[in-house]
Amino acid sequence: MRVHWAWLVALCALLATAPAAAEPGVTDTEILIGGSNSFSGPLAFTGEQITKYGVELYVRVVNDAGGIHGRKVRTVWYDDAYRPQDSVANTKKLVEQDNVFAIIIPQGSPPVVATLDYLEEQKVPLLFPYQSSPVTRGKRGIFQGMTLSDRSSKMMVDYLAGQRKYKKFAALYQDDEYGKSFLGAFEKDLGRFHLKLVAAESVKRGVTDVSAQVAKLQAAKPDVTFLVLVPGPAAQALKERQKIGWNDTLMVSTGPLTDERYLALAGEAAEGVEGLSLWPDPVTSELPGVKVYREHMQKYFPKNEPNRYSIAGYFAGMLFAEGATRAGKSLTRESLVTALQGIRGWESGILPPLTIGPDHETQKQGFWVRVEKGRFKPITDWLKAD
Amino acid sequence: MRRAALALGLVALLAWPWASPRYFVFLASLSLVNAIVAIGLNLLSGYTNQLSFGHAGFLAVGAYTAALVTTRWPDVPVVVTLAAAALVTGLVGLCLGVPCLRLEGLYLAMATLAFGFVVVEAIMNLDWLTRGNDGLRVPAARLGPWALSTDTARYYLVVAVAVVMVWAALNLARTRTGRALLAIRESEIAAQASGVHLARYKALAFVISAVYTGVAGGLFAFVVGFLSPDAFDVFLSVDYVAMIIVGGLGSVPGSIVGAVLLTVLNDSLAGFQNYRPLIFGTLLIVSMLFMPGGVASAFRFLKGERG
Repeated sequence: MRVHWAWLVALCALLATAPAAAEPGVTDTEILIGGSNSFSGPLAFTGEQITKYGVELYVRVVNDAGGIHGRKVRTVWYDDAYRPQDSVANTKKLVEQDNVFAIIIPQGSPPVVATLDYLEEQKVPLLFPYQSSPVTRGKRGIFQGMTLSDRSSKMMVDYLAGQRKYKKFAALYQDDEYGKSFLGAFEKDLGRFHLKLVAAESVKRGVTDVSAQVAKLQAAKPDVTFLVLVPGPAAQALKERQKIGWNDTLMVSTGPLTDERYLALAGEAAEGVEGLSLWPDPVTSELPGVKVYREHMQKYFPKNEPNRYSIAGYFAGMLFAEGATRAGKSLTRESLVTALQGIRGWESGILPPLTIGPDHETQKQGFWVRVEKGRFKPITDWLKAD
Repeated sequence: MRRAALALGLVALLAWPWASPRYFVFLASLSLVNAIVAIGLNLLSGYTNQLSFGHAGFLAVGAYTAALVTTRWPDVPVVVTLAAAALVTGLVGLCLGVPCLRLEGLYLAMATLAFGFVVVEAIMNLDWLTRGNDGLRVPAARLGPWALSTDTARYYLVVAVAVVMVWAALNLARTRTGRALLAIRESEIAAQASGVHLARYKALAFVISAVYTGVAGGLFAFVVGFLSPDAFDVFLSVDYVAMIIVGGLGSVPGSIVGAVLLTVLNDSLAGFQNYRPLIFGTLLIVSMLFMPGGVASAFRFLKGERG
């Protein structure tokens, strides 16, 4: 008879743990998250920094502090070399073979968009994809990472036309979703000030010679020229402007462009250029969260320099941990989504207090910077975009 | 014996989705798509000695054709869509093949390499049609009343097409055209002396190869479900050349084995992240050093047929 009781107890214990065990990627001791990213190909540096030195950095911090409700976080990363077919393959493998709980910070519009329908169908949360195309908007399982173009545009135009009273605007933009979504947003926001773009020139992706476009823009005599580009051609535009001695326009970079790589490529041609910065300076900022980030980097990866990409991944890791902690001991995909959605006024010490809400956007504010002696110097506090 | 093996292979192919984990159904589809490309490339390179580093370009043409046809006319049966992909890619193959007739070896490799780049540039610049860098979502293929919207359904589509393409390739060697192509590989001068119209058959090889790759491109579009120029970079073309070299030049079964091996290898190395290209490259060099004739010749060697 005794034996039977033992069986019964074991069965009850099994049933009690069953609901938690049933959730993919979550066991009593572990939460498995992962993503497909660029570890080779054109954006390999970014990919490695946001994952292995970003998310991973915060995961180590969390695990050394005992994990999330006693569960250690484990990550798995696959290389897609920025190819959509490889990102589809990797994402299916993550969901079907590895049974990940959620996908975190995959990079680039084409590789991410290629997996959207599949992830939605499988109800796997897609956390903070590192891309700014608004196609990820309005889906229950997706939380946007980068600031979307319309929000950036509103901050930029409100500041330049509203506070600084500039009147004539032009844009040099990349001829794709990234560039065009900004262009449309600029037109709309300038319209509120009864202004419009006096000139707009496009650059195909991968093109580095932008001299013809710069000459045409100069002819339109704008006060402000928006640069909606990636670092290579943007730096080229700044050098071209210096070469032809075009001094009476303020060049302004968008959020995704304002990074150290762009600065390094442009060299002294970047002096005096302004822009919207989405992250505090990872090397010099004295914000408490950024200081802690640098300490953690020093502790776990002393050979890796702090940079904008790894801090983005670190922040993604932080936000995931916050959501998973709020979702409680019985963590499910559904409870994670609800928990993240419920975040109000959360202090990260890196970005201003964050309220996510139903729009699922996790990065809504930037601040204004000017390049002085080869670094971005903040010249405003966080700007509003609501 | 041969028949029994074939039947067994077919049964294994058909049973695969029921016997293997779900992810491997997708991987098998991708492997078979690559196998069709490898066969197409092998018909060109292995049979007539014309090396191409631009087959990712043909794949892109087929894929975008199929995707655009399906987007415009969602009810068109998938067979027609694939035929359209084959036709368009075949025409492109003809347009590339004819001017390339005078080119050999390195020069031909350069021309085809350039073709691959031109196709990617064209996709980027024809953005009113292809949506450029933003990429194109591919709707599910339709066959009569059914939408092929699951991995398993797409897998069976790929299997059906692959079987037909393999059968055709195996039989090609026994036709007048096949014999002419093989004669060209052995010696262009000797072939011409025996009455083979060199220009016509070399151009034909280009067209056949393009048609194979175009059909594979159509399947690729449906299997992956999303296209962007990033999918068809030059490294993909190099992968295809690697597949036929690992598999064995001039061998249809070799093409299939090479394609499956490299697809699975590429996939299983994804977890090595930054080291993936390094490991992939090293394995290729090692296999070429120790198996210069590819898997096909290794098989022949094991069966006791040397050379």
